[in-house]
Amino acid sequence: MSFRRRLLVLFSLAVLVPIAAVTVIVSTLARRAFERSNDEQTAALVTEFQREFERRGEDVGRRLQSTAEIPEVTQMGVSAARAAPDYSPFLDTAQVLARAGRLDFLEFADERGTIISSAQWPAKVGYREPLVAGAVPPAPFLKEEELASGPVLGLFAMRSAEIEGRRIYLIGGIRLDRGFLSTLALPAGMRVLLYENLPGQSFSPARLISANAAAEDSGKLRELVERVTRQGSQSQAVIHWSWGDETVTASALRGAREEILGALIIANSRRIYLELRNQIRSAALLALAAAIGLAIVASSWAAARVTKPVEDLAHAARAVAAGDWTTAVDVRSRDEIGELAGAFNRMTAQLVSQQDRLVQAERVAAWRELARRLAHELKNPLFPLQLTVENLLRAREQSDQLFDETFRESAATLLAEIGRLKAIVARFSDFSKMPQPQPESLDVAELARSIGKLYQAQLARAHIDFRVEAENVRPIMADPELIDRALSNLVLNAIEAMPQGGTITICIRRHPTGVAIEVADTGPGLTPGERARIFTPYYTSKPEGTGLGLAIVQSIVSDHRGRISVESEPGRGTTFIIELPDALARVSSAQGSDG
Amino acid sequence: MKRFLSISIAAASLVLALEAPAALRPHYGGTLRILREDTPETLDPAAAGHPVPPALGQDLSQLIFETLVKLDDRGRPRPGLAVSWEAEPGMQRWHFRLRQSVHFQDGSPLDAVTVASSLRTSNPAWKVLPDQDSVLIETRRAEPELPGELALARHGIVRRAQERLTGTGPFSVEHWEAKKQLVLVANEDHWAGRPYLDRIEIRFGEDSRHELMAFDLAQAELIEIDPQNIHRAESEGRTIRASEPEELVALVFQDPPRSESDLVRRNRLAASIDRTTLANVLLQAGGEPTGAILPTWLSGYGFLFQSTANREPLPPDRGPAAGPMRLTLGYPDSDPLMRLLAERILLDARQAAIEIALTGSAEAQVRLVRVELPSLEANVALGEIARFLGLSTPEFPDLSPSSIYRAEQDLLATQRLIPLVHLRRATALGRNLEGWRTLPDGSWQLEDVWLSAEKP
Repeated sequence: MSFRRRLLVLFSLAVLVPIAAVTVIVSTLARRAFERSNDEQTAALVTEFQREFERRGEDVGRRLQSTAEIPEVTQMGVSAARAAPDYSPFLDTAQVLARAGRLDFLEFADERGTIISSAQWPAKVGYREPLVAGAVPPAPFLKEEELASGPVLGLFAMRSAEIEGRRIYLIGGIRLDRGFLSTLALPAGMRVLLYENLPGQSFSPARLISANAAAEDSGKLRELVERVTRQGSQSQAVIHWSWGDETVTASALRGAREEILGALIIANSRRIYLELRNQIRSAALLALAAAIGLAIVASSWAAARVTKPVEDLAHAARAVAAGDWTTAVDVRSRDEIGELAGAFNRMTAQLVSQQDRLVQAERVAAWRELARRLAHELKNPLFPLQLTVENLLRAREQSDQLFDETFRESAATLLAEIGRLKAIVARFSDFSKMPQPQPESLDVAELARSIGKLYQAQLARAHIDFRVEAENVRPIMADPELIDRALSNLVLNAIEAMPQGGTITICIRRHPTGVAIEVADTGPGLTPGERARIFTPYYTSKPEGTGLGLAIVQSIVSDHRGRISVESEPGRGTTFIIELPDALARVSSAQGSDG
Repeated sequence: MKRFLSISIAAASLVLALEAPAALRPHYGGTLRILREDTPETLDPAAAGHPVPPALGQDLSQLIFETLVKLDDRGRPRPGLAVSWEAEPGMQRWHFRLRQSVHFQDGSPLDAVTVASSLRTSNPAWKVLPDQDSVLIETRRAEPELPGELALARHGIVRRAQERLTGTGPFSVEHWEAKKQLVLVANEDHWAGRPYLDRIEIRFGEDSRHELMAFDLAQAELIEIDPQNIHRAESEGRTIRASEPEELVALVFQDPPRSESDLVRRNRLAASIDRTTLANVLLQAGGEPTGAILPTWLSGYGFLFQSTANREPLPPDRGPAAGPMRLTLGYPDSDPLMRLLAERILLDARQAAIEIALTGSAEAQVRLVRVELPSLEANVALGEIARFLGLSTPEFPDLSPSSIYRAEQDLLATQRLIPLVHLRRATALGRNLEGWRTLPDGSWQLEDVWLSAEKP
């Protein structure tokens, strides 16, 4: 990971972590505040329900008390006092009185519990009312009242009236239904429901009573209701409706004998909390986006300030490595980076200076070597010339005939040696005339094959097998004539090195920095000494060699910014390896630069 | 004949005018207003099938469409549009001689062809042939009760011309709106003389409370009173005429018993129902407990079936003999009385460990039904009730009480029917309604009533 990216990550984390922490803390606090508020509202509503329950129950009790004083009840008492009571005249009495007293349930029973008249189920006349067996409860109570259509939940009260020494019981109540719930004052976002718990029956959405008739998938309340009606303790759950979420709290409703007869369900909309939470999240996301933008800018600025000089130094170092020793970097600061840049500039300056001195030294050495070679080359023909001329002088002094004979012989010798001198001068002239490469697209494999065809006769004569092995190497940018000349020199050297036959293999392959061309023979190989001096100009191991062949090859390769090396051991052949750099080799690179 | 009748009526009127107070003298004219709970959908007596489509009540239908035979107060066949009849040996071929000089309300004369056509429509199983002034009815089996059956309203003689129904009755149809209203006007040319009333206006589909209210406000002169309200209506000062217990309330099973346990269940259900409470408390003595199909006053043997019906409710702690049982009980939920009875049956059955679910659907396993007594002739009544309830048609080798008893016993032996109570039919009469005659079955004889001047 680059320094710039590390800086970006560091800056991003530096702002992300605090913002996330703040968001989580604020969200948690908001949730807790909502839950606390919900608990308080729920408790208040439960209290209000109980208060309303008691108030309505007392109201039912008062209505029963006033009902107990009307003449029909007296008539019931009179009938009950008879040996064989006839309650048939009272069949509709309870219904009429219930309507008058605005009661949903009203039953009259005698001392034995026999129902005299029933408003909610008139046909129950003659059956027993179990409540009469016990004491008259003073307070209102919840009761599951059985109707022909099924049991329902009601708020009941019980009173009695004594007539003619006989007691008539009045059990009346109102149904806990939608109307009852609608009397509760609900805060905004809250609603209340009742669940009528029927013994031995599983949860049924039909038993759920809501103050409003909103259709909903009540089955979602099943688990909560079943838990409460089974355990009897208050329970809470978050219910996800199609229109939003609610925190639902359910409390058990118990009858006079502490049996669980239903559940009071208070639902509080989580809309406000969810909106608040979404606002917090939106604000956090906005802050985060802004912080990340800021982090990008800050990290870019810091990276630019810190890494740009380093990158400049790295770029300059690469340029120096590529041979551009004149490269210098700007010194923009006085800190460590600025000191490093100054040291780099001093280093390149020293390198340039040392290079100049080295070039001068090499130039002197080259001249000396040239003089030595010239002296050596010229000394050999000059010595026969000197002897021939001295022979001619001696023959002149002896006789004309001898002079003539000597002259003819000496003239031939002189001409031969002068010819040698001219040849030596011509070779030096050629070496000095090596042209600069003219790069163009070159298929090296094709060139190697054409060289094989050119020297086909010599190869056949020397019984040498010629092979070209080429990988999938694209054409390179190089001077075809110079590369042809270099490869031809190497092939000719190989032919001369294998007078008894063998194999020449040219292998062309990709190289990390360009293309590698290997020219290998199966000749006698080179000794370490020969290998060390083989590229020295004018060094030759052949009697008629000038020692310029491999020097010319090296010169051509060098002019292509390449490198030549040799691998050889005595008896194992010799391999010359030419590496041409990528910058000059690839056609695509050249085209890119052209473009 | 018509002249003779007119002279007779005039003479009778003269005698009454001399001997009776003026208020009791029959008056011609006036409109009788009637409110009823039923909602008939058709006037055609032949098209009316029980229970769909609901037909016009028998006593109203006979005001328009007369039958060949009428029944007297004791259920004996008497001449109607037929003046006489005789059966060939085997009781399968019957000759009915038609009354002469009778005209339909559209003026066309009554003839054998029209009568034969009408009877073929009312009972396609009969082979009915016209023969000058008589018709021949040929049945597939011996039918000694045929004259009595011909007194049923569905065998009323109808002339069907261009989708218009015409009868020979004392009243003709002025206006008819199915399920809502029927207005009848006096048939001036009725063969037995013009009825006293000019018009009869009947409004259908009225609930009992509204009927009472309208009656008390003198907006109607004739209304029905529910059986359970008879005593109350009387105690509130109204003139009530109640019939003998005649309308059967019974439980009818959809299918015959399928197994022994099913049979046990039906017997337990029959035994569990406290008929005395049904009759005396819920019906406020507007009915009588029964175990028979026909009321005792009609059959003479009804009390014999009481032994199979428990008079006392089962003790509450009496356990089930065949485990818990469940039944669906259907009842006409638009009828408050039937709802009350169904709810009591539910309670009683629960004591016998039979769980009953009430439903208004006709697809219930057992239905609670009301069947009006269709005829004062016992064998005809039993046959009609069996037909109405979808039971097998009883056969009578003769018209003796023992034959009828055996037929009823056979019907009850199918275990598809549990008779519960017989209801009384009661009518509240307006103060100015005179000439009312209460028959045992409570049916109306509106052709004989008249309206006096309004009493203070």
